[in-house]
Amino acid sequence: MGEKTYVADIDRSRYDFRFDEDESSFLGSGLTEEIVREISQEKGDPEWMRDLRLHSLDIYNKIKMVNWGPSIDELDVDRIITYIRQKSRMNTDWNDVPEDIKKTFENLGIPQAERESLAGVGAQYDSELVYHNVRKEVAQSGVVYTDLESAMHDERYAEMIRSHFMKLVPPTDHKFAALHGAVWSGGSFVYVPKGVRLEIPLQSYFRLNAKGAGQFEHTLIILEEDSYLHFIEGCSAPKYYEAGLHAGCVELYVGKNATLRYSTIENWSKNMYNLNTKRALVSQGGKIEWVSGSFGSHVSYLYPMSILNGEGARAEFTGITFAGEGQNLDTGAKMVHNAPNTSSYMNTKSISKSGGISTFRSAVVVKPEAHGSKSSVSCESLMLDSISRSDTVPAMDIRTKFADIGHEAKIGRISDESVFYLMSRGMSEQEAKAMIVRGFADNVSKELPLEYAMEMNNLIGLEMHGSIG
Amino acid sequence: MSMIKLNKLPVPTFSWLGVNDTQREADASDIKTVTLDEEKSESEVLQSTAFEITARSGEIKRAVMFIDPTDKASIRTTVKAENSSAVTLVQVFEGKAQTMAKLDAKLSDDARFELIQIFLEPGDALSDINTTLGGRKSVFTANIGYLLGGSDKLDINLLADHLGRKTNSQIAAKGVMNGSSEKIFKGTIDFAKGCCGAVGAENEDVLLMGEKVKNKTVPLILCAEEDVQGSHGASIGRVDEQHIFYMQSRGLPDEKIVQLMAFSKIAQIVDTISDEQIRQRIYNKIGRGNKNE
Repeated sequence: MGEKTYVADIDRSRYDFRFDEDESSFLGSGLTEEIVREISQEKGDPEWMRDLRLHSLDIYNKIKMVNWGPSIDELDVDRIITYIRQKSRMNTDWNDVPEDIKKTFENLGIPQAERESLAGVGAQYDSELVYHNVRKEVAQSGVVYTDLESAMHDERYAEMIRSHFMKLVPPTDHKFAALHGAVWSGGSFVYVPKGVRLEIPLQSYFRLNAKGAGQFEHTLIILEEDSYLHFIEGCSAPKYYEAGLHAGCVELYVGKNATLRYSTIENWSKNMYNLNTKRALVSQGGKIEWVSGSFGSHVSYLYPMSILNGEGARAEFTGITFAGEGQNLDTGAKMVHNAPNTSSYMNTKSISKSGGISTFRSAVVVKPEAHGSKSSVSCESLMLDSISRSDTVPAMDIRTKFADIGHEAKIGRISDESVFYLMSRGMSEQEAKAMIVRGFADNVSKELPLEYAMEMNNLIGLEMHGSIG
Repeated sequence: MSMIKLNKLPVPTFSWLGVNDTQREADASDIKTVTLDEEKSESEVLQSTAFEITARSGEIKRAVMFIDPTDKASIRTTVKAENSSAVTLVQVFEGKAQTMAKLDAKLSDDARFELIQIFLEPGDALSDINTTLGGRKSVFTANIGYLLGGSDKLDINLLADHLGRKTNSQIAAKGVMNGSSEKIFKGTIDFAKGCCGAVGAENEDVLLMGEKVKNKTVPLILCAEEDVQGSHGASIGRVDEQHIFYMQSRGLPDEKIVQLMAFSKIAQIVDTISDEQIRQRIYNKIGRGNKNE
C-alpha cells in the first residue's frame, strides 16, 4: 500500500527562536486596578486615558465571556503578564536598538525589508515599540507614522487621538476589547493628509518574546480625503508551553474617496490565543481592502469589520486560514452597509489538516437606508484528512428590498478527477496534488506583497512524497 | 407562561445578529397523537397534534397536512423511514395563528425522505426540522417555499445530519417577502466523521418586495469528514432588472411583472408536489386558480 500524500505543517523554525527576559521588567500578572493604574503611570497617560483604562477595567469585570466560537477555557487571564517595561526608549536608528531585540528583528528580515521595499517601519517587542522610522520624503509629504504613545503626548495629534481612540471599538464591544482598553500598550499611529498617495507600504511588526505574556498593541490609522495607504502588519512569537495572549485593537478611519489596504500575516506560535479586534469606518466613496493570512496561534477569533458609512463606500476582504495540529482558527469578516450604493466582497479559503479546526464565520448586514447596496461572499474549504474539521458559519441580515446579495460556499477534498487530468498530462500524483493545493490558495497569495506571497508559499509549502494511500 | 428557546443554531455565532435561537412561550395545550398508517393520507390540522409516520422496509408513504389552526398550536411530526422505504411529506401552513412545527426524521439504509413545506402568509410560524441520515445511501430532499406579507414572521431551522456513507441531502428554499414581513432561514448540513462519499447542497433564493422587510439567512456547513462534497448558496434581492426589461418589451405592465416574478418563485416549490389536486388547492389559495393564466 502506498504512503499517503503528506502536506507539511507550517515551518515555524524561523519564528521559534527567543531570548531570555529580565523578569524584573514585568508588572504583576492578572488584571487589577493597581496594575492598570501602574501601567497608566508608567506610560504617563493623560487623565482621559487613565479614566478610559479604569472604565474599561470596570466593563471587563462585568462583561461575560463569549458564548460562541472556540473554547478559551484554558486561557487564564489572571496568569497573563499584561505589561513589560521597555528596555530602552523608542529609537529611530537600528544601531541604537538593544542587541537581542535587534537580532530578533534581523532574523525576521525586518531591517532588510525596510531598506528594500517599505516607506516606514515600526517594530514592537513585547509591550513597547522599540523602533519607528519613516523615510524622509514620506515624512515631508505630511504623513505621520509614529508610535501611538508619542502621538498622544504630541500636542499636534493629541486631540486627534482622543477623538478617535476606541471610538470605533468601544470597550463595551466585548470582553477582550474591554481588556485591551484597560492594559493597551504600544502600537502605531498613522495619519495620511488629504490627497497624499503613499505608493510604497508602511509596516508594523509585533513580536511577543516573553513567556506567559500578553500583547495589547493599538493601531490607529486616519486617512484623509483622496489619500492612499498600504499598511502591512506582521505578528509572531516563539513557542512556549504557557499560554500567551494577543488582544490587540486596530481602528481605521478611511476618508472620502480614500483607499486603505491593510495586509496581515499572522504567525503566532501554537501556544497563543489571538483575540484581536479590527474595524474600519469608510466614508463616502472610500475603500478598505483587507488581505489576511492566518497561519499561527492555538486559538484565533479574528473577524475584521468594515462599516460602510458613506454613499458608495466599498470593502473587500481576501483571506486564507491554514489550521494544522493543535490549532482552532475561527476567522472571517463582518460587513455593515449603512449607506446607499455601498458594496462589499469577501473571498476566503481555508485549509485544515492534522486535526486542525478551521471555521469561516461572517456577517453581512444591510441596513434599511443602504439602498442599492451589493454584497458577494465566496468561501472555499479544503479538508486534507479526516481527523481535521472545517466549518462554515456565514450570516446575512438584509433590511432593504433594494439590495443584491449573493453567497456561495464549497467544502471538499482534492478531487480525483483533477488529479487524474493532471496525471494524464504527464505529472506525477504528488506534483498534481501539490499544484492543486497551491492553486487553491493562489487568489489570496496574489493579493499579497511579493515578499509576503513568498512567505506564504513557505508557510503552506508542500512536501509530497510517496503516492496516495 | 415560561419562555423556551427554540430553533437553536447547531453552532452559535455572533450574538448581536440575534440568530442563535428564538424565544417563544411554551405551549401547554394538550396534544393528541395521530399515527398515519395509510399509504396515502391527507389531514386538516386545526389544533396541536403529534403525527407519527413510519415506513417499513420497502414501503412508500405519502402524507399531506394542511395546517390552519384557530389558535396557537404545536405540530410535531416524527418520521421513521426503514431500509429502502420512501416517505413524502407535504405540509402547507395556511393559518394566521402562531404555529410551532417540529419535525424529526430518521432515515435507514437506502431510505428516501422528501419534505415539502409551504408557508402561505402564515402569521407567526416556526419550523424546526431535524433529519438524521443514519443509513447508507439515504436521501433527504427538502423544498421550502414561502409567501410572506403584512407583518408575517417565519423562522425556519433545518438540520441535515449526515452520519451514513454516501448519504445525500438537497435543500432548496425559495420565497417572496412583502410588507414588513420578517424571516430567518437557518439551514445546516452537518457531515459527521465517517460519512464518506456524502453530498450535501443547500440553496436559498429570496425575493425582497416589501419596503420594510427583514431577511436573515444563515446557511451552515459543518464538516468532520474529508471525503464529502458540500455547498451552499444564497441569492437575496430584488427583481432582476433584465427580466423586468424583457417583460416590459413584451407589453406587460410593471405591476403584473412583479406579480409574475413573485408567483414564479413560489411555483417552483409548489410544482415539486406530484398531486395535481394539492397543487391546485395551493394555487387557489394564492389567488391563481389557473397557474398558466
